[in-house]
Amino acid sequence: MIFLDFERIWPSLPYILQGIPVTLSYTGVSLFLGFFWGAVLTFCKVGQIRVLQWAAGFYTSIFRGTPLLLQLILIYHATPQLTGYDISIWQAGILTFTLNSGAYVAEHIRGGINAVDKGQMEAALSLGIPYFMFMKDIILPQAIRNILPSLVNESIDLLKESALISVIGGADILRRANIVASEKYLYFEPLLVAGALYYILVMVLTFGARLLEKKLKTS
Amino acid sequence: MIRLEKIHKSFGDHEVLKGISGDIPQGEVLAIVGPSGSGKSTLLRSINLLENPTAGKVYIDDICINEGKIDIKKIRTKVGMVFQQFNLFPHMTSLQNVIYAPLKVKKLSFKKAEALGKTFLKKVGLSDKANTYPPLLSGGQKQRVAIARALAMEPEAILFDEPTSALDPEMVKEVLSVMKELAHTGMTMVIVTHEMGFAREVADRIWFLDEGHLVEDSSSQKFFTSPNSARAKAFLEKVL
Ligand SMILES: Nc1ncnc2c1ncn2[C@@H]1O[C@H](COP(=O)(O)OP(=O)(O)OP(=O)(O)O)[C@@H](O)[C@H]1O
Ligand SMILES: [Mg+2]
Repeated sequence: MIFLDFERIWPSLPYILQGIPVTLSYTGVSLFLGFFWGAVLTFCKVGQIRVLQWAAGFYTSIFRGTPLLLQLILIYHATPQLTGYDISIWQAGILTFTLNSGAYVAEHIRGGINAVDKGQMEAALSLGIPYFMFMKDIILPQAIRNILPSLVNESIDLLKESALISVIGGADILRRANIVASEKYLYFEPLLVAGALYYILVMVLTFGARLLEKKLKTS
Repeated sequence: MIRLEKIHKSFGDHEVLKGISGDIPQGEVLAIVGPSGSGKSTLLRSINLLENPTAGKVYIDDICINEGKIDIKKIRTKVGMVFQQFNLFPHMTSLQNVIYAPLKVKKLSFKKAEALGKTFLKKVGLSDKANTYPPLLSGGQKQRVAIARALAMEPEAILFDEPTSALDPEMVKEVLSVMKELAHTGMTMVIVTHEMGFAREVADRIWFLDEGHLVEDSSSQKFFTSPNSARAKAFLEKVL
């Protein structure tokens, strides 16, 4: 029979809750930066410069083809070794998640761009609109609309994957729950709390996404 | 103002244009007609280099535009284009569609561009749709916005590739009448069309294309009453 003892971790609850902004900051900042990085990668992929196309494709396949945890540990430990720069946990986390989500976002954006009908390119050409402006003002806004739902999914994935930061010592929800667990010799309760917090955050995001989608459909 | 010299165009080893030469003077309304697949669109699109001719020269205002270092963007602002599928930017209102290029390419002030945009929307009879997004417009309205968009760059010529072919029959007229008005203002127009009645009424001259050759280059009146070539005769008998 499982015996749950939430009373003993009750005093530690605020400590775990303080992990929420930490988790959200990893998610939010990486997603924001990852979006721009992904946009840059997309421009390389759909652009006309061969070398950039190839480099962006190679980059994407590396980041999609290896475990995120490995990328994180590598960046955290290899950066000081290679560059002498003493990278902080936060920097390593943001850098890894940004580089990683950029690779995924780039794929989404490319899909969104491909969904924009080709005739607009010809119209833009016939008006003398430069390629960069065409991408920025005409294709990208439409592509973003097309990809908003998948961006939300990306943010949900990232939110959950950000828990990996606890492996290198980032004080996020999971890490804090783990600390409480080992202090109190109670594992189930703090981790259950952590799980519930992640679940609630994901649900809020999902709900927000539905509202957004509805709004996009009507406008 | 437009001169074509021995234009050839191949896609792979399929030669679509087999040496087409001709002049289109300022203010002329030229209709390009011919059977499906004869190369009409390809020829039209060669004029603003949406298709790059495999051989031959395209001159605009006596400048060869498909050779050496030419700012093709600048040339394209002189030659507008209207497409069968409208190709409006769906996330911009009619007015935004019309003023985007004057604003961003010609770098007019917003005030000037807006005034210009409103003038041209009025010209195509769509003042009341200035703030409407293209998905909410009918086909005929979309095409008229597209015409206003081309006009707003104040080009010297406009190319039309079957501007009414994607329209329901009841909307063809409103677009043709806008084009007719435009023809009367002295705009140079090159129109690929299947609307023989319209071509006869509005065009000054007809180019009849068949299998990549310019088979006949006649005044509209001559073409429709007594065409020179047997192929044009056969074509007219079929479509009229
Ligand atoms: N991008 C392309 N790649 C390969 N072949 C092409 C391409 N564009 C056109 N063609 C071919 O060139 C030929 C002429 O095409 P074009 O569109 O110029 O004909 P058209 O006279 O405009 O016909 P329609 O009246 O059906 O529009 C056709 O056989 C077509 O299949
Ligand atoms: Mg055609």
